[in-house]
Amino acid sequence: MSAHQVDRLPARTGRPRPRKTFYDLIEPYLFLAPAFAVFGVFLFYPFARTIYLSTFLTDKYGNAKVFWKPENLGLQNYIDLLTSDQFWASVLVTFQFVVIVALGGLVIGLITSLLTVRKYPGVTFASASYAMPVAIASAAASMAFRMILHPTNGLLNILLGTRINWTGDPAWALFSVSVLTIWLASGINFIFISAGLRNVPDELYESASIDGANYWRKLFSITLPSISPTLFFQIIINIIGAFQSFSQIRLLTQGGPGDATNVIVYAIYRDAFFNFRFGTAAARSIILFLIVLVITLIQFSFEKRSVHYS
Amino acid sequence: MTTMATKRKITNAFNFLLNLPILVIILLPLLYTLSISVMPPSEIYQNHLIPSSINLGNYVKAFTNPAYSFLTFIRNSFIVSTTVMLGQMLTCSMAAFAFAFLDFKGKKLLFILVLATMMVPGEATIIANYLTVSRWGWLDTFRALIVPYLTSAMGIFLLRQSYLAFAKELHEAARIDGCSNPRFMASIVIPLSRPALGALGAYVFLNTWNQYMWPLLVTNSANYRTVQIGISMLYDIDAESLGLMMAGVVIVIVPSLSIFIFMQKQLINGLMAGAVKG
Repeated sequence: MSAHQVDRLPARTGRPRPRKTFYDLIEPYLFLAPAFAVFGVFLFYPFARTIYLSTFLTDKYGNAKVFWKPENLGLQNYIDLLTSDQFWASVLVTFQFVVIVALGGLVIGLITSLLTVRKYPGVTFASASYAMPVAIASAAASMAFRMILHPTNGLLNILLGTRINWTGDPAWALFSVSVLTIWLASGINFIFISAGLRNVPDELYESASIDGANYWRKLFSITLPSISPTLFFQIIINIIGAFQSFSQIRLLTQGGPGDATNVIVYAIYRDAFFNFRFGTAAARSIILFLIVLVITLIQFSFEKRSVHYS
Repeated sequence: MTTMATKRKITNAFNFLLNLPILVIILLPLLYTLSISVMPPSEIYQNHLIPSSINLGNYVKAFTNPAYSFLTFIRNSFIVSTTVMLGQMLTCSMAAFAFAFLDFKGKKLLFILVLATMMVPGEATIIANYLTVSRWGWLDTFRALIVPYLTSAMGIFLLRQSYLAFAKELHEAARIDGCSNPRFMASIVIPLSRPALGALGAYVFLNTWNQYMWPLLVTNSANYRTVQIGISMLYDIDAESLGLMMAGVVIVIVPSLSIFIFMQKQLINGLMAGAVKG
């Protein structure tokens, strides 16, 4: 974008063409400037800063103080994390949570999509209801579930005739948070899987009907194989979404009891805002980023392959 | 013929009935919240599920009692969500316009950079962003809530897709007629891409309205608190008034549900474009 390039342009094109003014040359960058200014300050910079902080001991204001053990290349925060039981407990809890939510969301999405694939009176209402959770904030839903799961006056204990402390009992806390997250994720699962179902060609079903295949036969040999790319994509979306969950943990369990629901994002929050260990929080953030990156790359490589072979 | 019609009626009814169990599971949390919010307090503690009479006291309290300042939370959320929505519509249309219509050096690299931002979960940069914003003295301001969200890769991507559907000749013809790029964008591109812009707007407004973690970190005073923080604070103020808490949830959900009901198509289009980011 330097000045000598401006001089070279007309000679290169040769044809009589309106000479590009300086404004013409910078105009595209002006169009990009607002977006890139925001990306620069609130995405690229903090990302670099997070990597930087993760190699330091920090003070309680988040200032980098000591490059933490140069002999370990500044990776001491990571080493401390990777050798702590508490970190691995948090990873284990996160993975349990992610698997339950990803599969639970998928199953609900699949069932609701299959139930609404045909036309009958009431199907529009049912479809709208199934999609509805996408609009509900996780914080608002968490407050509603706080009432539902209330140990003495909550709906769930009333219906079951139990007195379980759903969010305070280590045996139930992760399960309760997962159920809420599945409820929140059910809408997006329904929307995507329904869209996938609509793309299955009718001819496939017609020829199967002629051959006398029943509903379940058609489901397992036509429907599910045809929408398997959609289901795979949806599992990835569920996994990434579940890794990022925060409000429901903060509002229902605060990561507890003990560390029973201390998923990665909540652990980042705890490190930074309760323990003021910003360096550790930064190292955890980078680990979260790497996990999400690997999952995204797996998705890309599968997508490429399926495009290639189809 | 009549047996055929009856048979179809039975099939239809059967098809709908199959939905009931899941329909109940999905709708019950909201119906229950609504029911508790209008229930006389004594009945909540007698474990009633349906109120014997409708009691709107919780709503009156939420709106008029200054201790809960719900009107302030709603006003704050409207200011923040609307500004973020308009801001993203502007910055994303501009960037998408450059990527779709203009040729310039480094275009491919810059576009890859935009897509790469989708790979970074917001939670991974939130600590560093908090430190930036607090260093600037932006804590407890609208700026802190708005500025970091004034653009998005998803918005740029969504609008670029819709611009690419336009014939490039349209742009060339306009240029030859002496129409400047900003004018071409304002008078042709934006009016023609209204559906995509609507999808982006509905999606961004809803997402901002529903935000929780960032507003929690950067606001402390009730003057700047948004609705989602507001309702979660109700519990801390008065854990005994479960009915008030549920009234708060209903108040906060009404705008979300309205967008869902009246802009369902746009919202779903926006979601499908945004889901890649999760």
